Parts: sequence; C-alpha cells; structure tokens
Amino acid sequence: MRTLLAMMMGVGLFLAAPVWAQETGGPLRIEITEGVIEPLPIAVPDFIAENPAAAELAVNIGRVIAADLIGTGLFREIPHAAYISTPTSFSAPVQYSDWKAINAQGLVSGAVSTGSNGEITVKFRVFDVFSDAQLGDGLQFGGSANSWRRMAHKVADAVYSRITGEGGYFDSRVVFVSETGPKNQRAKRLAVMDYDGANVQFLTDASAIVLAPRFSPTGDRVLYTSYETGFPRVNILDVGTIERRALNVQAATLTFAPRFGPDGSAVVLSQSQGGNTDIYRTDVDGGPMVRLTSAPSIETAPGFSPDGGRIVFESDRSGTQQLYVMDANGGEATRISFGKGRYGTPVWSPRGDLIAFTKQANGRFHIGVMRTDGSEERLLTASFLDEGPTWSPNGRVIMFTRESKGAAGARALYSVDITGRNLRRVPTDLAGSDPAWSPLLR
Amino acid sequence: MTRGAYISGFGHGAFILWALFGGFFISARDPLPVQAADVSLISSEEFAALSLPNDAPIVPFDAPVPVEPGAPDDAPDIVPATETAPEPPKPVVVETPDQETPPVAPQEVLEPATDVSDQPPALQTPPEAQTSPDVAPSDDTPIPAPAPRVAPVAAAPPAPDVEIADTTAPEVVPDETADTVAEQTPATAPQEAATEIVTEAETPSSAPVVSVRPTARPARPVQVAAPVSDPVENAVAEAVASTAPDPVTPTGPPLTGSEKEGFRVAVGRCWNVDGGSAAARVTVTVGFSLDRSSKVVANSLKLIEATDGEARAVNAAYEAARRAIIRCGAKGFDLPLEKYSRWQNIEMTFNPEGMRIK
Repeated sequence: MRTLLAMMMGVGLFLAAPVWAQETGGPLRIEITEGVIEPLPIAVPDFIAENPAAAELAVNIGRVIAADLIGTGLFREIPHAAYISTPTSFSAPVQYSDWKAINAQGLVSGAVSTGSNGEITVKFRVFDVFSDAQLGDGLQFGGSANSWRRMAHKVADAVYSRITGEGGYFDSRVVFVSETGPKNQRAKRLAVMDYDGANVQFLTDASAIVLAPRFSPTGDRVLYTSYETGFPRVNILDVGTIERRALNVQAATLTFAPRFGPDGSAVVLSQSQGGNTDIYRTDVDGGPMVRLTSAPSIETAPGFSPDGGRIVFESDRSGTQQLYVMDANGGEATRISFGKGRYGTPVWSPRGDLIAFTKQANGRFHIGVMRTDGSEERLLTASFLDEGPTWSPNGRVIMFTRESKGAAGARALYSVDITGRNLRRVPTDLAGSDPAWSPLLR
Repeated sequence: MTRGAYISGFGHGAFILWALFGGFFISARDPLPVQAADVSLISSEEFAALSLPNDAPIVPFDAPVPVEPGAPDDAPDIVPATETAPEPPKPVVVETPDQETPPVAPQEVLEPATDVSDQPPALQTPPEAQTSPDVAPSDDTPIPAPAPRVAPVAAAPPAPDVEIADTTAPEVVPDETADTVAEQTPATAPQEAATEIVTEAETPSSAPVVSVRPTARPARPVQVAAPVSDPVENAVAEAVASTAPDPVTPTGPPLTGSEKEGFRVAVGRCWNVDGGSAAARVTVTVGFSLDRSSKVVANSLKLIEATDGEARAVNAAYEAARRAIIRCGAKGFDLPLEKYSRWQNIEMTFNPEGMRIK
C-alpha cells in the first residue's frame, strides 16, 4: 500500500515539476520572433579637413561613403541639418547623447589630410551610438589624391562590414558593354567602371561587336566574345595593358559564353560545331578542349560553383530552356528548374548558396534566385526585358541589364538586393548591358 | 486478506489516477451538431403560382465569351544573345555565321556592318509585355503594398504633418473652457510599414492596405496632480534605485501572459533584422538585468548562447539584439514593479527564423 502511494506521489511530482521550477526560480525567459526590417539610421558628418588643402576632398569622401552605405538600402542617412553637434576634431570625444537624440544608431566620423607629395591620408572611426561604444578600431588609408574615390569605397566597405558582419562590395569594378546608337544600329564597346558607375574607361573600340565580358577571379583579365573575325570567338584581355588574344582557337568552330573557373586558370564556354552546341572546358593558357556535354540540344551559359566542383548551365534538352547542374568534369546533369516559363543565364553566388537566373514567363522577364538544388525560387524583378545577372563580390546584390520597350528602348544597368528590395538604376552616361562584377580590389 | 487488500488498493489507486489525470487523455466529446432550417408551409395554389413561367421576354445571351489571355506573340525570346548559340544569319546581312555550315574561309564573309545587332530578330519588335494580363496573381490573396519598413503589423503612410510614434494619437488642443487644461500635443502615427517584403515581381493587388475604421475618441485630458515629495523618501528611493539589483530568488506571482507579450512586442519593435544577411541565420540568447525603474543595468548585457554561425555573423546578430534592448529600454519597459523579482534577470532569445528570406 505504501509502495502504491509512493508511486502515485512520484507521478504527481513528476508532472508538476516543470511548472514548479518555472514559477520559483531562474531568469525570465522571453523569445522574440518578430522584429522589423528597415534601414538603419546613420550619421555621416563631413570628414574633418586637417589642413586647408584637404577641405574639398574631405567633403567629397564623406559624400561617397554616405552614398555607398545608403545605396545598399540597409542604411538611412540622417540629414546634416538635424545634427545637434558635429565633430570638430578627429580625436574629440563623441557626444553620444547628441546623436541619440536624433536617433542615429551609427556614426561615422573621419578626417582627411594632404601631404606635400600629393598623397592623402583618410582615417575614420565607427560608433555604435546606443551602446556608447566604438565599433572596432580606427583605421587609416593612404594613397594618391587621384584615388580618393577608392579610399572612400574602402572606408565604406569597412563601415559596412563592422555593422552588418558581412564583407562589403564598394571597392569593386564592373565590366560591361557600353552601347551607343539606335536600337538597330548599335556600336558596342567593352568598358569598365567603378561599381557605382563612376570612372568609366573603354577597353575596346567599336569596330567589332563585343558581348558577354567576364572578370577573372583576380580582376586583372576579362574573357569576352568578339565578332572581330566575323564569327563569335572568345578573347581574353588584360585589363592593365589592354592587350588581347583569342582563346584556344579551333578551326570551324564558334565559341562564346565563356566564364572563368574559381582558380582563374580553367575556363568553361560554349562551342558550336556542325550545328550542335555543347559545353567545353579548357585552360586559359592553352590546352585541349574537353567536351563536358554531348547532346543534340543546345547547352550553353555555363558557370562554375565557387568551389569549382560543379557547373550550372542552361539547356533545352527537355524541350524548353531549363537549368541543369553537373559535375565540373562532366557527366550526368541534374535539372534544377521546374517552374512555369523558361530559364537562362544561371550564375552561382559567391557565397555558394544561391543561383541567379533570368526567367521568362507570361510575357515578362524576371531576375530571380533559387537554391542550388532548385528549391525556394524567388523572383526579384519584373519588366519588359531583364536579363544577364551578375553577383556582387559579397553575394548580396545582383546587377543586370534592363531594356525598356519600344523602338527607342534603351538598355541600362540595374541592381537589386537579394531580398528583392532596393531596385536601383546604376548611373551610366551611355546605355549599357552585360555587366560582370569584379571581385573586391586589392 | 493480503491479496484482497492489494486488489482493493490497486483498484482505488487506479480510480484516483483516472479521476486526477483522466481529463488529460480523454477529450470531452461535444454533442453532435444538429442542423436546423426554418420552413414555412404554403398552399398548393401558392406553389402553382410560384411555378408559373416568368412573363419577361427571353433575350438571347450573346455576351462575349471570355478567352484566356495568352502571352504576347511578339514577346522577346528569353535567349539572351550573349549566352546562346548564334542564330543563322539572313543571307543579306551576314553578321553571325551559320551554325549549320560553319564557315571555313573567313574572307567569304562580309565585314560586320554597324547596323548589325547581336539581338535575336524578335528583340527588334518588343511586345507590349507590360500590358499582359497574365501577370495578375492567380489567387485572391491580397499582396501588401511595398513599404520601406517591414513590421509585424502593417501601417498606412502617416499624414505629412503627423509625428512618427509607436501609436496613433490625435492632436490634443487645450480647451480653455474645460475644467482641466491639457498640454498641447501633436498628432502621432506609426511609420508606414508592410508585413512582408514585396518585390517588383509581385504585382500589388487592388485590395485596400488597411481597413478604414473610425478614429477613437481622444481620451479626456486629465491633469495629474504632482506628487507630494518627501526629501527623505526621495533620498532613500534614489539610493535604492542606484544600487545594483540584488540576486534574489523570484517570489510572488509570475508575469501574466499579456505582460510578457507586451514586453516581447516592446523589444521586437526595435529589433532590426536584415533578412538577407548571414546574421539572420543565427539565433542568439542575450542575458541582462533591469533595475527597479525597468531600465537596463549598465554592462549587464552579455551573450549567453548562439546557434552555429560564423563569428562575424554571431557578433552582428548579438549587436542587433543588444541595440534593440538598449534602444527600446532607454526609458524603461512597462513592467509591474510589484513583480520586480520576476523580471529582474532576463534571458531573451532572438530567433529570426521567420524573418529571413527563404
């Protein structure tokens, strides 16, 4: 009988124990599952000019940094007119209360000085206002006055990285096809620019049609397709010397849609021979063309995964244009796109987790992303014609070509965050298409 | 005798257990629903009158039959010219070589002219794709309008002369004829927000963003009498408030569900999540203490636990959580002082699973 009573009491205590423990001891435990998504208010006062000659540069550098950060869509700049106080010296203590009062959550302060030899020095600090603390150590960059924009981009990269915990993408370049003339008579030149559209430089003249430029992983070479001979041929161009040569020319073949491997030596491209187009792999310094696909359908637009182990490409082997993934040495390919419409121009994210693509469905074009197994497809844009995505070095932003409708429709470069927010036009003086983002500059 | 006692004890014990816990395992059965309908009795004459054909003339129905809209015939081909096999060129303008018969002698090919386009012919006559009716959402689910802020509760854009605040409140104008004169306060409204990220690919529906509801009558302003201050009590209270909280065992009644929910909402309002970042894949638990004025005790914030993630992502997630606690706790949280021992020490878990992009 006593055994039975003990068992009953034990059962009762066992059932009541969690409730009792929750009621009597331990900290209060709360789980937050819902927050907000909004730009972070940030203050970027003009950098302090430490000598009169640096006055203009100080203002310009501050504006470029602010433009970089705001352009991400993750930050919102607090207008200078709202400032209660402004830093008067780089070493002066920060009046956190003044910045809290205007709800600035981040503060970037810096200073610029010029030397007698034309060199400039840019230094900065980042502050977490509501924590009354500096984020990381202060940093200083030195360089020529001509490279002030690059130095501003580097500061913005550091600020972005410290606040978001991710690498930046501001100190990078974009190679693209600059277009002039009417829609049916366009002259095309390869050009390279800063990621924000500044400092445009032309790499080729308009004597031959050029298409689909692609940066090497080190950013010093560009693969592209040229019609210089009347046929599409893949060329490789040195960005520093503008010297170019054809890549691994073989008779009676057409080559196009090239892309570097992650090591910078391997190249995948499409080669058309006898009316059939397949994907081949070769070496940038020569070597045999290794055939990776063998099908009567059109296989094109190949691209490596960041680890170099797989290749994503488009093919119409199923009857419609779809995306496939195969081993980097060829073999059986796995179809990954199954949605309604046609898919093309796949590009693997530098993070390795997503594949960007162009999609046509219901008479509209989209830029979208999906997981590497084809799941979780999300369309980020929709317009008359969007195509040719390229990833920012940190895998956060996608740049692409958008063409407006009509005979006078122009092509322009746009960018969008992978969340689908912050769609922006990249400012270029001339029409542009086929962008390819470089890695971060060194 | 002993066996009988055991049987009796077991039987009684089982009955007591069933009486205590039987309710957990046996759900109460609701009575079967009975459907009822109101009927009325009519006479045969009334039924015959209702069955007579209508005198209205029959009009042939020749309304247009809706046809399923298709994609425009002149839609541009998805195949970007830059990534696909070159199209066989027209005989007149030799721009790209024929794939079927790859040219052997380049000199047979005309020089590329400036009017050559690398675009497929279809691109030269772009369609009116943006008027395609196919882009309408296939279901009736209303899609929220895009807004610069994504929050759990949608909010319409506030009027331009309204101050941004957490709650909506009408402007209070002092009424000189009233018994008590209220302080003038401007109208406030929450910042415009949507409940989810709306991309360009999602065409917003025509459904209203928010339902129009009558505004609540403003509360009658009440002048609160200033409390009579006792210098000694004030000094004691300040001394108590300034000291660090003592680690005491929680006593008294726990926080109610609504009090916890209010606390949760108060912090979540300031928790800014970047859904596309690596930090959005990290769940962090932050520990901190509150003083009796429900403000965060300085230097009490610490990272207790974090799910797997790179160190930079964990740090970014922790910083975002810390900013949320500090910002929204700057003026103190709305917590009952009599239950201070219950909320003196807190472990708050920030789980962004529902906010990260899928």
